[in-house]
Amino acid sequence: MSTAQSTKNCITLRGSAQIIVEYLKYGINSILFQRGIYPPETFENTQQYGITILMSKDKKIEEFLANVLQQTEEWLAKNMIEKISMVITNAHTKEVLECWDFKMQAELGDGETTDSTKLTSSKELKRIQSEIRDVMRQISATVSYLPLLDCICTFDVMLYTLQNCEIPEKWDETGAVFIQNAQAVQLRSFSTGLHKVDTVVNYKMAS
Amino acid sequence: MENIKSNFDKIMEKFNDSLTHSAPKKLNFEYLNDSYNDSGTLPKKRRHDNSQLSCDNVSNASISSIPSSPWETRRIKADLIEAKSRISKLKIEIERQHKLRAEVETLYESKVSELKKQCEFSSNKVQDVEKHLQVVRKREQGAKQELLRTQRELTQQKHHYEEELHKLQRAKLEIEDHSRQVQNSMENELSEYRRHTDKLEMELELVTDEMANLKSLLNEYKAHTSSYEALKIEHEKEQQELEVANSRIKELEYQIASYEDWKEITKKSQTRLLSIPDMDKELERLRTNNKNLQELLGNKLLLEEQVHDLKKRLAREEGGRNEAVALQVKLSHMEQELKEWIKVAQDHCLPNMLVSPMALRSRIEQLLQNDIIMISEKRNTQSETKSVKSELLDYKQKCEIYVKNIEELNVALKKHKNFKDRIQRKLFFVSKERDCYKQLLENFEKDLTFSTANNAADGAAGDVQLRTRLDMLEKTLVGYKDMCSNLEKELTNAKQLPVADQTIENVVSTEVYEHTKKELDTMRLENERLRRRKEELELELEHRCLKGDFNVGKFKVVHFAQNPAAEAYENSNNLIEKLQAEIERLKRRNKKLEEDNEVTQARLNETTNMTINIKEMNQLRAELDATNSKMKKMKECYKSASMEFREVCYLLFGYRIDRLGLNTNYKLSSMYAESPDDYLNFRLNESNHALDMLETPYSVTLKPLIESQLVGNKSLPAFLSALTLELFQRSTVTMS
Repeated sequence: MSTAQSTKNCITLRGSAQIIVEYLKYGINSILFQRGIYPPETFENTQQYGITILMSKDKKIEEFLANVLQQTEEWLAKNMIEKISMVITNAHTKEVLECWDFKMQAELGDGETTDSTKLTSSKELKRIQSEIRDVMRQISATVSYLPLLDCICTFDVMLYTLQNCEIPEKWDETGAVFIQNAQAVQLRSFSTGLHKVDTVVNYKMAS
Repeated sequence: MENIKSNFDKIMEKFNDSLTHSAPKKLNFEYLNDSYNDSGTLPKKRRHDNSQLSCDNVSNASISSIPSSPWETRRIKADLIEAKSRISKLKIEIERQHKLRAEVETLYESKVSELKKQCEFSSNKVQDVEKHLQVVRKREQGAKQELLRTQRELTQQKHHYEEELHKLQRAKLEIEDHSRQVQNSMENELSEYRRHTDKLEMELELVTDEMANLKSLLNEYKAHTSSYEALKIEHEKEQQELEVANSRIKELEYQIASYEDWKEITKKSQTRLLSIPDMDKELERLRTNNKNLQELLGNKLLLEEQVHDLKKRLAREEGGRNEAVALQVKLSHMEQELKEWIKVAQDHCLPNMLVSPMALRSRIEQLLQNDIIMISEKRNTQSETKSVKSELLDYKQKCEIYVKNIEELNVALKKHKNFKDRIQRKLFFVSKERDCYKQLLENFEKDLTFSTANNAADGAAGDVQLRTRLDMLEKTLVGYKDMCSNLEKELTNAKQLPVADQTIENVVSTEVYEHTKKELDTMRLENERLRRRKEELELELEHRCLKGDFNVGKFKVVHFAQNPAAEAYENSNNLIEKLQAEIERLKRRNKKLEEDNEVTQARLNETTNMTINIKEMNQLRAELDATNSKMKKMKECYKSASMEFREVCYLLFGYRIDRLGLNTNYKLSSMYAESPDDYLNFRLNESNHALDMLETPYSVTLKPLIESQLVGNKSLPAFLSALTLELFQRSTVTMS
């Protein structure tokens, strides 16, 4: 019982990475639905963080996200990721229309140990989830001011990792994306105690 | 229970019998065995029975053989005693059994009474039930009757419905027949229409053939017309030529006629030529005449000119005279003026000088020159004053500068004076200090000398000396204190002094100060600028940070190779390639189509014609239906009209005319004929529109009438009327 007591409200680096990856999964799916990248009939309702989130039923997207997020979790647990970008591009012209940045900042947690691999955070999961919920709500609300995507669009997820990071199989190095005439809006942030996640949406100003 | 009882009785009787008779007898234990089969005492009884049996056997043996020995008798006696005891036991048993029985009987009776009661109750119930049953039966009977009634109704209804069914079936059959008929008729009609359409198609083909023929004919005709037109043009040309020729001929004729005229004219002119010399003479005469006349005309013109000139001169003379009068008036006026002028001149000129315009002019010129000189002088003075003023201004400026310099110098002087005062004060202090130090030195020296002298002097005088010394020292102390205060003052002054010194220095190095100030200002400005720039850059940095700019050197961007974007790009590329291929294909096809445009056009036309044909067909069909119905109506109409007409003819002329077959045969039967076989037969001869009478059995009988009317009068109406009259008379005769 005593061990259970001591580990009750403890989040490890890996746990924090899991929480963030879960947020990314729901966030990306929500963006895909809200921005109309894929037809709405390919989404289904899911309850998460106390709100309804629409998740894609497309097998390809599910597989892609699973692959990407698995790697993301691995790297996040080692604090090797600077930020994660979800890039929305025009399928025909390859023009970058929107870029959703999820910036990761490592935090010290409770600061009990100096060993970076054994850091823990005692932040309550409920609080973290409520913070995430606020961000998710904001993501849904962005539709009101983001410009309409009136062309066939597609998306990609890019990870900004450290230079010494090894590139696994099936992964490629690519260049950073830039949006012409961009406007940036920062949404709320949330923190697991070990990672602070800023969500920023960059979009092309309607000329 | 009764059964048990009877069984028991029987057993008892038998036992008693066996006892009383004591005869060897075989006991029957059937009942016992039967009734006590399930009782707990059975094995005991068996044993008892066995013993009984053995006893019986013994008794039998004893009876059969006479007892011979006392042992045997003894044994028998014992047996007997034993039997007796057994009997007593059995009796006790029997009594117990009796008691049991009595108890059972009482129980049974009570039970019987209960049962009887129950029986009565049940019988009452049965009676009630029977009553109820009767009621129920009555109801049942009623129900049965109703059932019967309803069954009857049902059967009736069934019959009714069956009949109806039959009727409906019959109707259905009829309808089916009708439909079949209709279908047949429809089919017939359809086949008719088909035939009709076939016919129409045939006709159409014929028409198209004809059209083709007509077209060819038309082409031929066109060729003909073109040739005809050519001929026509030629003909017109020829006609024109003919006309030209005719006109030419006419011209020539005219020429011929004119030639003849000309001949006459020449003749006349020749005659006239002969009279030319006379005419010449006359001409000369006339010429001279003419010349004279011309001269006269010139003279006359000259005269006229002269008159005109003179008139002009006269007018001018008159004008001159008028002018002269005006001038005279003017002259007088001028003379008066001149006098006035002379007076003026006299006034202005020198008294000794002759009054003349020249003098006046010279005078005026003199005055003018004076004027000019004065003006030049004035200008010179003005320039001088200006220069003086400028000089004055310069001097003023200089003066101001000097004043400023003086002020500055005064200030400097003041400062210097102050400085001097301070230095003097300092000097004073220093000298005082020096004096003080000197005094101190002297005191010390005195002290020294005193101390040396003290050694020599005695102790009494020492106290006084010490006192004086103490005073001296106090004095010096006061002096020190003063000095201290002075020094403090000096210090405060000195504190103020550096500032003054600085100001002096500043005054001295104002330029340096200004320079440094400027430098400071520029530095400050630069600082401001740089700060602003820094802020801007910070903002931009933040913005860039927001936008997702990142440190390229520190991070690298990776993404999953099989991402949806790549897939989408590939798909779109494929799609574009496909579309391009299709465009190429379509272009080629378009070209081909353009090449085959005419063919397709023709085909299109065909198809449109087809549709038109179908439309036409439908239209024609509709028309056909309409006309058919019209025809039917017309037929009926004609039929009724013809019937009426025939009836009217029959009533008017007394003959019924029937057309027989298609051979233009007509059958006439009279109104007054004696039998329907009495008829005449005619045939229309189409060649000469006449009626030929054919022989009939009846006509044979009318030989005399035919001969008299037909052959004699050659009139069919007369013959018929005669026949009618005859027959009429005959019928009236018979009637009468």
